[in-house]
Amino acid sequence: MSESQRALEQRFERIFREYGGAVSRLAYSYEAVAGIREELVQEIALAIWKALPHFRGECSERTFVFRIANNRGLSHVWKRRPQHQALEELEEDEQPVDPRPHPEAKAAQSDERGRLLAAIQSLPVAHRQMIVLLLEGLSHAEMGEVLGITENNVGVRANRARKALKEALGVRP
Amino acid sequence: MTDDRELESWREQWSGVAEPSAELQREIQLRIKRQNRRFVLGNLLTVIAFLGMLIFGLFLRHRSSWMGTGWGTSVCVLAVIAAACRVWFLRGTWRPEAQSTRAFVELWHKRVTARIRLLRISLYLSLGWLIFCAALTAANWATIGEDFKTHPKAWLVLLVACALMQYPVLWYGMVWIRRRKLAELKEVKNILDEMNDV
Repeated sequence: MSESQRALEQRFERIFREYGGAVSRLAYSYEAVAGIREELVQEIALAIWKALPHFRGECSERTFVFRIANNRGLSHVWKRRPQHQALEELEEDEQPVDPRPHPEAKAAQSDERGRLLAAIQSLPVAHRQMIVLLLEGLSHAEMGEVLGITENNVGVRANRARKALKEALGVRP
Repeated sequence: MTDDRELESWREQWSGVAEPSAELQREIQLRIKRQNRRFVLGNLLTVIAFLGMLIFGLFLRHRSSWMGTGWGTSVCVLAVIAAACRVWFLRGTWRPEAQSTRAFVELWHKRVTARIRLLRISLYLSLGWLIFCAALTAANWATIGEDFKTHPKAWLVLLVACALMQYPVLWYGMVWIRRRKLAELKEVKNILDEMNDV
């Protein structure tokens, strides 16, 4: 293995150690089914790995990771859409069974986190992206870089996304 | 509850979502290794296919009759035209204009539109190729006719095989891909509209 390849692998491992949690959380906003969500996290990690050699530090690593994760998430929405619609139309007993235990998902259904996740997943894609970046604590400038909009626009959209999330949660304004 | 406290509360709930497991990270490493192997293998196969075609073309030119030479040359011409069409129609869709999610969606939209156009052109190109083959056969009917009379069964089998190949490949294949691409275009437009409306 060459020196540069090893350096790239180390860089990738560090980035994934640092942002793996954020990527995993972001995947929640795009996919509700645990098994498929893990696949999506892997897809995002692979996309980061592929893009890493071309990353020249034009933006922060965080912005870089969130941009790739969002792009991959959008592609996932498209790939999943026909199946997703079919899934929603299926009877309950016909739902595909995830072989792995997911106690978190079961417990979460009854608590606030579960409600928050469900509400985020129910939002339109653009609101979803904004909310996730907001919850991850990105600055307005970073959000603008990730989404390709101006900082002023970020403020306006963030407010709209928050309002939409409140509505989805059933919170009175 | 103020907005900021509300946001803090959401953040607290959000941060409690599970981190990726060690098993998942191992799986990612394995996928990266598989991806690297696939990349090397893909390049190797492309080189082998290209060399194979080149050797086959040279073999046809030296060993085969005028028919083989004609088909071989026309296949090469078709390949060049197809490659040129692909490059022409997909121009401007290689890289996003900016490094953002919006730029990615805009690029996605451009790519899908270009591929739909490319599909239509491919259909015309295939029809043109069929007409060219028919013209080549008609122009050389004197030679082919004699062979046809000598081996009618072999020619009929060849014609039926060609028709069976053309129909599913040209019709069903392209219609299926086109329908899928149109659905994709609709989805990308929806995402773009959502981004513009919000």
